[in-house]
Amino acid sequence: MADQLELRDEELVALSQQGRRDCFEVLVRRYMEKAFHIAFNFTRDTETAKDLSQDAFLRAYSNIKQFDGRSSFYTWFYRIVVNLCLDHTRRRRRVGWESLDQMVEKTGEQNQFADTTFLPEEHAIAGEAKRRVDKTLDTMPKKQRTAFLLRNHQGLSISDVAKVMKTTEGTVRVYLHRAVAALRQSLLEFV
Amino acid sequence: MKTDASLARACKEYEEDLVLYYYGDGGEDERRKVELHLAGCGSCRHFLDDLQRLLPQITGAETMPQSFWDRYYRETVSKLQTHDERNSGWRSIFAPLQTWMVPAFGTVAVALLVIGLMFGKSNLISLVEPHSEKIPQEILADKNQLEFFESLDIIEVLSKLEAQDEPKTEVIESDGNRASLRGQIA
Repeated sequence: MADQLELRDEELVALSQQGRRDCFEVLVRRYMEKAFHIAFNFTRDTETAKDLSQDAFLRAYSNIKQFDGRSSFYTWFYRIVVNLCLDHTRRRRRVGWESLDQMVEKTGEQNQFADTTFLPEEHAIAGEAKRRVDKTLDTMPKKQRTAFLLRNHQGLSISDVAKVMKTTEGTVRVYLHRAVAALRQSLLEFV
Repeated sequence: MKTDASLARACKEYEEDLVLYYYGDGGEDERRKVELHLAGCGSCRHFLDDLQRLLPQITGAETMPQSFWDRYYRETVSKLQTHDERNSGWRSIFAPLQTWMVPAFGTVAVALLVIGLMFGKSNLISLVEPHSEKIPQEILADKNQLEFFESLDIIEVLSKLEAQDEPKTEVIESDGNRASLRGQIA
C-alpha cells in the first residue's frame, strides 16, 4: 500500500483496470475530500454529499475499464461527481426562503454535531449574507454555478473546468464571469 | 456593511478579464494588459478589490474531522468490495463464455432469425389458409367431357323417341331397332 501511494493517477488507473481494487482505493483516498466538497457545495447537506460522492466513486470504479486516458482521471471523475450532483439537484430542486432557512439551520446543527473545529472562514459570511450567497447560487443557471464551484471552491483550472463540463474555455470564462458578477452584486452591501 | 458607491461596475470590456486575473488565469499578455489598465482605472481597481474581499469567503467547504474521513473511506471501500462480490457472482455464472463467444452467439441468433422469417413466412401462410387440393386440369377436362358425352346420350335418346312418335310405317322398319329403343328408354 505504501508503494501504491507513490504511484501517479494514470498508473493507479491502469492497475485498477486490471482488477486491482487496492489501487483504486488509493484513488479514493486521494480524491475523497475533493469529491465530498464538490458534492457538499451542490447539496449543502453532509449526508447527501457523502452518499453522492461515494456513489461517484462506485460509478467510476465500475466504469474504470471504459476510461481511455484521453483526459486526466480527476477531470473524468469530477465529471461523474458533477453529473450526479446535477441529477440530484434536478430531482430535489429547493427554492424559496423557507427551505433555504431550514437548510441553513440544518447545516448549522450538523456542523456542531460533526465537528467543533471549523475554519474561521466558515463563519466569515454568516446569517443574511450567507442566505444571500445561497440564494444567488441556487437561482443561478446550473452551468454558471458549476463553473464557479469548480473554479472557486475546487481550484480547478479553466481548462480543466472546460473538460469537466465538456465545453470550451471561452464558454467557461463567460460562465465564471457571470457567476462572479452576480455574487458580487448580491454581496456588495455586506463588504 | 458597505453602503457607499462601490456598486459602480468595472469597465465592461475588462470585467471578464478581471475575474480571470483574480483567479490567476489567462496568459501573460492578458495579465499585463489588465495590470496596465488597472493602473489608470479606479472603478476596475474597486471591482478587483471587491472580488479579493468577497470570493475567499464564499468557500462553502466544510472542514470535517479526521474521524469523518476515516469512516468515509471505510464505507467507500466496503461498498467497492460489495460491488466486486456481486459482480464476481455474475461472472462465475458466465465464466464458461469466452469474450469472442458473445458476438458469435449474437450473429448466429440474428442469422437464425432471418432464416426463420424467410422460410417461416410461407409455412405460416399455409397454416393460416386451409389446405385445398387442386384438381389437375386434365381431370377437370375429362369430367366436363364426360358430362358432355352423357348429355349427348340423352339427346340421342330424345331423337329416337321423336322418331318413335312418327308414323308406324316409317318407324317399324325393323324389330331390332325397336328392341334397342325400349332398352334405352328403360
